Amino acid sequence: MLILPQFPDASELLNHPRLYAMSLSKPWSHFGPHHPFPEKQNYYRDPFPPSLLPPLGFSISAAFAPDPTMSNANMNALPLDEMERFQKLSNEFEPDVQGPLVSTKQSSHSIAMDYANADPTLATKTSALAITHPMTRIMKGDGNCGWRAVTFGYFETLYALRDPMRVQREMSRIESLNTLLVQVGLDPTLYEIFVDATEDAFAQTLAAIQNGEQDETYLVNAFNDEFNSNSIITHFRLLTSTWMKLNPQQYQAFLSGPLDEYCAKHIDPLKTEIDQVGLQALLDGIIQGSGFGVEILYLDRSEGDAVTPHQLVSGSTPNGPTIRLLYRPGHYDLLYRAEQTVNMAPMVNLQYGMTSNYTPWDQGALSFDVNSSLMSIPNLMADPGSGFGMPMSPIPSVPQTPASPFRISTPQDMYQSPIQNHVPVPVSSPPPVMPSAPPPMTTLPNRSDGPQIRLNPLVMKPNLSHSLPVTTPFKK
Amino acid sequence: MGSQKRIAKELAELVESPPAGISVELVDESNLYEWKVHMEGPEGSPYQGGDFILKLSLPTEYPFKPPTVSFATKIYHPNVTNDEKGSMCLGMLRADEWKPSSKINAVLQFARQLLAEPMPDDAIEGRIAEQYRNDRVRYDEVAREWTRKHAIPK
Repeated sequence: MLILPQFPDASELLNHPRLYAMSLSKPWSHFGPHHPFPEKQNYYRDPFPPSLLPPLGFSISAAFAPDPTMSNANMNALPLDEMERFQKLSNEFEPDVQGPLVSTKQSSHSIAMDYANADPTLATKTSALAITHPMTRIMKGDGNCGWRAVTFGYFETLYALRDPMRVQREMSRIESLNTLLVQVGLDPTLYEIFVDATEDAFAQTLAAIQNGEQDETYLVNAFNDEFNSNSIITHFRLLTSTWMKLNPQQYQAFLSGPLDEYCAKHIDPLKTEIDQVGLQALLDGIIQGSGFGVEILYLDRSEGDAVTPHQLVSGSTPNGPTIRLLYRPGHYDLLYRAEQTVNMAPMVNLQYGMTSNYTPWDQGALSFDVNSSLMSIPNLMADPGSGFGMPMSPIPSVPQTPASPFRISTPQDMYQSPIQNHVPVPVSSPPPVMPSAPPPMTTLPNRSDGPQIRLNPLVMKPNLSHSLPVTTPFKK
Repeated sequence: MGSQKRIAKELAELVESPPAGISVELVDESNLYEWKVHMEGPEGSPYQGGDFILKLSLPTEYPFKPPTVSFATKIYHPNVTNDEKGSMCLGMLRADEWKPSSKINAVLQFARQLLAEPMPDDAIEGRIAEQYRNDRVRYDEVAREWTRKHAIPK
């Protein structure tokens, strides 16, 4: 069984206007310390028709003057005091956003309707979307929508598996992450109410499964209680910034300032919308360990008739449970595919094997550099036996190969190594269940002294080959 | 409710081990959301010797929204409004900079630090800020005078 990389290669990404633009736009680097566009701007709903979506990058124009002719270049030409005035307006901008924090599941035809009279590309794409992903769940655009979409999606996916053991395991896993909050100097008095809210959500999920509740209404209600919702989101925000602080080498290269400052301004405060780096850290640090896949569908005006899904995290099993996000500039919602195959019963054993292999975050665990395809494979993170990063000693890794279902995707499968001296790792007969837990990752040697850059395909630089040392770690 | 649980803990901690020059109590024992704070003017500042009373109000959404802090004692300071309200709003107290993981303890220490070192660039009273920058001697004089008049018990 091979888990093939589902992530598009770099050239494809670079041809993708939205992704390319997003990689270039770091809003905070253009507009000073404040996040000027918390996703407060609901482009797709009322204030401005979707045809005003800026074709490239982050455009300030739509926020203040619905004038599509006003470009970034024009903005930069404005006098400083004008810019400051805009910045101030932007900072104080509090749109009147309506609706519940998390909506009930609804037909994604509503999205198509929003765009029916808009740009033909968007109209075509949203019509196609309503067929491939007939249901959606709208998040309130209050500055937390990305965080809320991922967090709600996580609990909903967990509930949909109807596996009490899995819920227990996830609860323990998240609890084990809490110990790291202390490591970065947080005082338990400060975060315990957030942790409580998350634990309540797990407990309610467990109860809902055990009581055979019909649907996820309990969760929708829990997430529509603002204090509760904010608490869970704050917990996940704190875990994310902690994860980033413990693994700075993965993220620092993508930030324009010091990582601590980034966390203080863009992760920790409530109502700061998640950006690409933050999303990746949330997924890497908290969601990935669940074994759920995470897909994102970018709705933009790029060529094509359909919104293409991009895999941000490959789940531990192909076609396994997956959180699907719909991204429109500045806003996240959830999407649901046509066939909802969430019955994971045959996979349970694999999951056992996977989660028993779980060790809480470890700073040394990721100290290797990977290319974009590899980065999208969560297996590599949790894989202590990988020859990757210590290419001179691949043999000791072999005995562990059959031990973990992740091992199946070896770096060689994913990546055309420029240096062909890797010993191929046998992939022929891996039993699906781990006989015993491998040694914890913390006992691993410090494997890499190569560049500590982890390539995020969504934020990568256009001139990939010049800016990222894709091959260096393999040289040794 | 989560916010009360956390406020109660923070209050207990502050009562038990208060930071230097600061003491807190509830305005009304039955209401966790309104605090009365005594703050000693920091040594070496023109506020030295003064006992300043501050009001700290916690929103019901605390800790998702920041507390508001105001001086009940009149004070001559670039960052405190020179009116009945005595309000201050800067740095960590701003809604967009507030983090739910910030502590009231830190807020109070921040406020006291501000007495020792005003932030004229972030001033709410532009005139006082200008004087602080350009005529420190006069600023010290007035601030000391106000402290004597309003903050030192007779």
